[in-house]
Amino acid sequence: MVMAAEDRIRATIRSGNTHIRLLLAHPMQSGRNFDINNKPIEAEFIQDIRCWRNDDEVLAIKCGGATSENPYFSFRLAGGDMGDLIIIRWVDNTGAKGLVKTQVN
Amino acid sequence: MSVDLADIERRDLIKKTLSASTLAMVVASGLVLPRRVLAHWPAEAFSAETVEDVLLALLGQADVEQGHMLNFSVGKPAKHIIDGQSVSIEIDSELEDIERVALLVDNNPNPLVMSLDVTPTILLPLKTRIKIVEGKSKVIVVARSGGQLYKAVRDVRVDTGGYP
Repeated sequence: MVMAAEDRIRATIRSGNTHIRLLLAHPMQSGRNFDINNKPIEAEFIQDIRCWRNDDEVLAIKCGGATSENPYFSFRLAGGDMGDLIIIRWVDNTGAKGLVKTQVN
Repeated sequence: MSVDLADIERRDLIKKTLSASTLAMVVASGLVLPRRVLAHWPAEAFSAETVEDVLLALLGQADVEQGHMLNFSVGKPAKHIIDGQSVSIEIDSELEDIERVALLVDNNPNPLVMSLDVTPTILLPLKTRIKIVEGKSKVIVVARSGGQLYKAVRDVRVDTGGYP
């Protein structure tokens, strides 16, 4: 069964820090591979992922084509409160963009 | 109160000159130029073909300190990976003030997998998933802290390649 691809994020407070888990829906094709009909698959991979907490940029990730399909990240931010706004923006090599946001709970 | 024709013309003229000059300013300031979205993506580091070239392109140096300051785990179970499409990585460190972390696989066609620009707000461990080619490889994590590079290496064997 194919589900509609959707970026997912969850941010929770755990022992005083903000725990973020992020799953982006993206094929992450490096451009070096072939499909079942032996046709080259065009490169399509996320290059830049940025994370903000409220107005502060806290993390920037640059990716190549060797990041797994549907990139997953889990990390913590020092401190934080319930209701903090977490924003993720990503851009891929074709110029497609994504925006994911959530409130810490 | 009456407004004569000359007054209306004068107002009209002011409006036109204002909008024209505003437009000229906007054009001159480059606001309407298409923004180079990918300007900050380090293309040279990602297209480099050896670990050393990646480090030079990304961190400006290739002299690294081996030690136990960096700690990371690869795969579940560790060391022997069945599917190279999605290998979990968990990076941890005792280092303070890490500025940048690079994650590499030496036998991938382009060794650099990702580069993380970390602020002091970020607490490790950080988990992610990467692709690794079939066969034996070294997974390398390099972190820069206080102008010094620290490196940790893990040997892995992958049964089915991840086609990175």
